[in-house]
Amino acid sequence: MSRNTKILFYLLMSAISVVFVGPFLILLSTAVKPISQPIFSFPPQLVPLPPVLDWFIEAWTQISFPRYLWNSVLLELLTVPAYLVISALAAYPLARMRFRGRQVVFGLIVSTMFLPGEVMLVPRFLIVSQLGMVDTFAGVVLPGLMSAFGVFLLRQAFEQLPRELFEAARVDGCNQWQTFWRVALPQVAPTMATLAIFAFINVWNNFIWPLVVLKTDSNYPLALGLAYLAGIFGDDQRSLAAGTVMALAPVLVFFIAMQRHFIEGMKGSVKG
Amino acid sequence: MATSATTTNHATAGRIQTAGPRRKARLHGRWHTPYVFLLPALVLLAVFFIWPAVTAVQLAFFDYHVVSPPTWVGLDNFKRLLGDPRFFTALKNSGLFMVGMVPLLVGLPLLLALLVNLPLRAIKVFRLLYYLPVVTSMVVVAIAWNYVFHQRGVLNWALTSVGLFDKPVQFLLDTGWALPALVLVEVWKSAGYYMMIYLAGLQSIPTSLYEAARVDGASSWQRLSHITIPLLRPYLAVVVVLATMDSVQVFTSVFVMTQGGPQDHTMTLGYYIYDKAFREFDVGYANAIGLVLWAILIVFSLVSYRITRGKVTVP
Repeated sequence: MSRNTKILFYLLMSAISVVFVGPFLILLSTAVKPISQPIFSFPPQLVPLPPVLDWFIEAWTQISFPRYLWNSVLLELLTVPAYLVISALAAYPLARMRFRGRQVVFGLIVSTMFLPGEVMLVPRFLIVSQLGMVDTFAGVVLPGLMSAFGVFLLRQAFEQLPRELFEAARVDGCNQWQTFWRVALPQVAPTMATLAIFAFINVWNNFIWPLVVLKTDSNYPLALGLAYLAGIFGDDQRSLAAGTVMALAPVLVFFIAMQRHFIEGMKGSVKG
Repeated sequence: MATSATTTNHATAGRIQTAGPRRKARLHGRWHTPYVFLLPALVLLAVFFIWPAVTAVQLAFFDYHVVSPPTWVGLDNFKRLLGDPRFFTALKNSGLFMVGMVPLLVGLPLLLALLVNLPLRAIKVFRLLYYLPVVTSMVVVAIAWNYVFHQRGVLNWALTSVGLFDKPVQFLLDTGWALPALVLVEVWKSAGYYMMIYLAGLQSIPTSLYEAARVDGASSWQRLSHITIPLLRPYLAVVVVLATMDSVQVFTSVFVMTQGGPQDHTMTLGYYIYDKAFREFDVGYANAIGLVLWAILIVFSLVSYRITRGKVTVP
C-alpha cells in the first residue's frame, strides 16, 4: 500500500470515528461546561470555556451516586465468578464425558437461545415473585447465572484440549474433580477471561431486568440510577451528563484494558 | 454405564492404556459425576428458563390481572389480539424496525470490517472506537443521543446549515422521525458488534489465497469479489439472522428514549408486552402477545438454523 493510500484510509477511518465517538464527546463537553456557556446553540459550542468539574461533584452528592456504584460493583461480584464456575461445570461433562441424557441436556441448553428476553420478562418476574425474590439482589442475579453462550464457548474450549492431557492426569491419579479443577480449567483460562469480560459488561449495562425486579431505589445499580437521575435532574443537563460520564468511565477503562480479548472471543464464538 | 471404582486402578494400568486408541468421552469416575457437575446449571435451567416458558404458554390462555387468581378464557386473548389496533401498530412498527435495521446492519459493518482489517499501524484504535457503543449501556446511549437529537442540537444544526432541513425537527417527538431516529441509534449502537463478527470471518481467510491471486494478477476488486465475499458467506448468513432477530426484539431503546411514543409510533411488540404486563397488569394478554413474538422468532431461528446449519453461538 502506498503512503498516500494509507493517509487516505486513515482520514476516512477518522471521519467515521467522529460518528461513533461524537455523541460521547458531546456528553463529555456538556459535563464540563460552565454555566455561562449554552448547552445548545446554533452553531454548537462544543469546547467548554473554561472546563469545570462542578457538575461531577453535584452529581456525586445530589443523588446517591456512591450507593448506585456500590450496588453495581456488588452485582458484578455476585454474578461474574458464579457465572464462570457454573458455565465451566456444565461445559466440562458435555465436552469430555459420556453419560446418559447428554443429548437431552445439551438440547435443553440450546433451546434457551430460543427464549427471547422480552417474552420471558413477564413469566420470569412471576417466578421470581413466587420465590419471594422481588426487590432482592438474588432475584436480579440468579436468572443470569446460566447461559447457552457461556456453556457453548467453554464446551468448545474443553473439547479442543488434547486427549493426552486427560490421560496424563488419570495416570497421575486425578479423579474427575481434580482433573477438571487442576488440569482442564487452567488450560481454558483465555476463554474464561473472554467470558468474564462479556459477563462484566452485561451486568454493568443490564437495565430492564433489574428495573423489573428492584422496587427500592436505594437498591438500584448505576444504569437504573442514571435513568432515575435523568428524572430528578430534569433541567440540570450538566449534572446529568456528569453522572453519565461517571457511570460510563469504569466500563470504558475496563474495555480498553481488555480489548484484545474481545476479538478473540468473537472468533471463538462465531463458527461459520 | 461404565463405572470404574477407583482412580488408582487406572494409575497402575495407565501406561498400557495410553498406548491404545481411546475415546475421549469415555466416562472415568462414578456414574453420577457428570450429573453433579451439571447440577447447578440444570437447576437454573429448570427454574429460570423451563418453568417461566411453561408459565408463559399457560398464562396466554388465562385472564390474569395479578390481584385476583387467573381464570381460564381459552383462546379469548388471541381473539382480542385480532381486534386490537395497538397490537397491529406494534406488529407494523417491529416490521419497520426490521426493514430499517437489517440492510444497514448487514452492509455498513461489512465496510467497517474491510477497513479495520487493513494492515495499518493504528488499526486497533479504530476497531476500539467503532466498538465503543457496543459496550455502552442503552441508558448512557439514550442520554448522549438526546443531546444530538435536541431541537437546538448538533444534528439539527448540521441538517439545517447544509440546507437539507428548512427548520429544526424534534426527532423523538415527531411522528415521522421518531422511528427512523431510533433505527439510527440501534444501528449506531450495534454496528461495531457486527463488524467484529465480519472481522473474525475476514481473519479466518488464509492469506495464502490472496498471495496466490496476486501472483495470478487479480485486481483488489477481483480478490474481494472472488475470495473475500464467497468465503465470508457463512458469516454473512450469521449477521443477516442476528440482525433480523435483533430488529424484531427492539425494546430497551424504545423504553428509555420514546416510551413507545409519539402516539405509539415507536411501540414495538416487546414494548407492548411490557406496557400490558407492567403498566396495565394485563398479564394473560401480555403473554398472548409474547407467544406471537415467540412464534415469529422461532420462524426466524429455524430459518437461521437452516442457513448456518446450527453452528452459531454468539453472545
